[in-house]
Amino acid sequence: MNDRHDGSSIDLEKALVRYMVERRVTRRELLERIGAVGATAALAPIIAACTSSGGASAAPSSAAPSASASTAAASPSPTAQPSPEAELNILNWTDYLADDVIKSFEGEHNVKVTQSFFSNTDEMYAKLGEDGGDYDISFPISVDVPNMIERGVIAKLDKSLLTNIGNLGQEWADPGYDPGNEYTVPYMWWTTGVGYDPARIKEEPTSSKALWDARWKQHISMLDDWQEVFGLTLIQQGLSANTTNTADLDKALALLEQQKPLVRTYSTDTIGTMTSGDVWIGHIWGADRFAIQESIPAFAYYIPEEGGVKGSDTVATFTGSPHPIAAQLFINHLLDAHNSAANTNLIYYMGPNAAAKEFIDPAILEDPTINPDQEIVDKLEELLSLDQSVRDEYLSRWQQLRG
Amino acid sequence: MGAAVQPADAPAAPASITAPGRLARLRAATLVLPGVAWLLLFFVLPLALIFVVSLGSRDSLGRISLDVLSLDNYARAFDPVFLPTFLNSLKYAGVTTVLSLAIGYPIAYWISRYGGRHKVLLIILVMLPFWTSYLIRTYSWIILLRDNGVVNSVLQAVGLTSEPIILMNTDISVILGMTYGFLPFAILPLFVSIDRLDPDLISAGRDLYASGRGAFLHITLPLTMPGIVAAALLTFIPALGDFVTPDLLGGPQTTTIAKNIQELFLAGRDWPYGAALGFVLMIVTLSGTLVALRTLRREVIGGD
Repeated sequence: MNDRHDGSSIDLEKALVRYMVERRVTRRELLERIGAVGATAALAPIIAACTSSGGASAAPSSAAPSASASTAAASPSPTAQPSPEAELNILNWTDYLADDVIKSFEGEHNVKVTQSFFSNTDEMYAKLGEDGGDYDISFPISVDVPNMIERGVIAKLDKSLLTNIGNLGQEWADPGYDPGNEYTVPYMWWTTGVGYDPARIKEEPTSSKALWDARWKQHISMLDDWQEVFGLTLIQQGLSANTTNTADLDKALALLEQQKPLVRTYSTDTIGTMTSGDVWIGHIWGADRFAIQESIPAFAYYIPEEGGVKGSDTVATFTGSPHPIAAQLFINHLLDAHNSAANTNLIYYMGPNAAAKEFIDPAILEDPTINPDQEIVDKLEELLSLDQSVRDEYLSRWQQLRG
Repeated sequence: MGAAVQPADAPAAPASITAPGRLARLRAATLVLPGVAWLLLFFVLPLALIFVVSLGSRDSLGRISLDVLSLDNYARAFDPVFLPTFLNSLKYAGVTTVLSLAIGYPIAYWISRYGGRHKVLLIILVMLPFWTSYLIRTYSWIILLRDNGVVNSVLQAVGLTSEPIILMNTDISVILGMTYGFLPFAILPLFVSIDRLDPDLISAGRDLYASGRGAFLHITLPLTMPGIVAAALLTFIPALGDFVTPDLLGGPQTTTIAKNIQELFLAGRDWPYGAALGFVLMIVTLSGTLVALRTLRREVIGGD
């Protein structure tokens, strides 16, 4: 984790791969990209010459004791359970599902689980197509769920098979993207907030207003993502991150116009801009901090006290799934408290599973940026899939800001 | 009868000559078939698709609908919100072109006149950067230009500045990156036209008492004008549509029209609108190019 290496050349390659994938970087994606560094090094022999590619051990090692998922087998199985098919095909991120959780499912239901992997969401959605392709289970981002339901990609869940659904926390009972969890079950969630280098920012900011502080002029960055930027600004103004009111949007735009002269860059490459020293404080996806801490160990991240934006992945099965019963049983398996905890201990994201808390690694539970206090959680707002006309209102203001 | 036969035979003779001529032309035409097929498949067809999409609309799920075709998207494409970014694109493309010519011409001239037996090697050196991915080369500029990058470290080490000068995410970084990227496209056509210029013409000019400067202005420059025009077009057109360089090296003030188009496609999920804006940009580029070519041909190259 702390291998010595020439930071700049590693940065270059990391940044390249990051750009090519061109999606938000999460810890799980980072792991894949580190693997790809070897390939890109071939393109840059000169740079590669001064690089020890061995120094690329990625995100914090998950030394956390993974809650023994084998105990999950002890959970009572309902009597009137239909027998599942012999196979289950999962389309997933790499390192996004604990091995023990898969093994215990295979043992319990006598199902052979096959996992395939994708490296970005575009690839996932392409593989799923209009009915899930050959896959039974995948993990769509919540914001894309309404569209996939309407297009008839995601299949409705059979609640009679989801005996563990009561384990979900209260705030996940009726999510905006899928009221009543009729089609999907939340899997993991994360936040967008503010990250800063304590060597430059000597105080400990708690508000997103720190991103408007003229003292850091030309060293502030915002994400190049209209929904995230408006979300943060609207929440700071006490408004909804998903507002459909154009007057609210005008207010947010006015505030963003004030901020623009202070901004160094609107970029999703926060790992690059932060580690290069150009940006001291920025609007970042929470999961990116692990990668930044590779270069700046003291790098700090917080969820603004006004509240923040949260995102989540769901788990879903599809209208064309070849093994629908096994799929439903697997979703129920993921809702088991032990299994949910095992996954959190691997991924370092909190799950929506209230019953899982007691089995989660204390180091994760005590990290307020991963597991914030309920008071903060209540102020988090999930970005929703907006109607086209509303989307246009956001985008035209965003383009006005960027012009 | 005999007289009647004669005229009938007469045209037969030329026909027997044209028949193989036609065949030869047909055979020659097969030579251009691959090129024509390529252009049809990968230029005309996509262009037609973009045009059709630009007339359509999108449904509530962001899918393209071609049920009703209209020019509405073109009316929207002239939204004043795109004016600043379009002017930005013109500015970067223009400055990049001028810089590429100003830097490229002396290099091409030097290689052609003084390269001697190393000419080929020197031209390979000009093309050498293409052996590395454009993205890697652009990222290298970040390492040079960032606050604690190479340039700022040197400036501070020699005591020219005490604080880092902000170079990244500015006009400077965008123009440097673009000029660097497009310079080889200027040098190659310039080299070809300078190399083809008969040096005896310059000697003749000097014999007729032209000064070195006069010979250059009245002989070399006009005769290499086709190369200059080609170089200008080869840098200006791709620079106008460049998306990657301003996006990677630029900052809040450097948004280009290409970025707007990309956002309409991806963030806006409005392919018809993005297609219309893209089409307008292409028409503007194309007509600008044609006007420039015609003017230059008439005024400088003279005739053909």
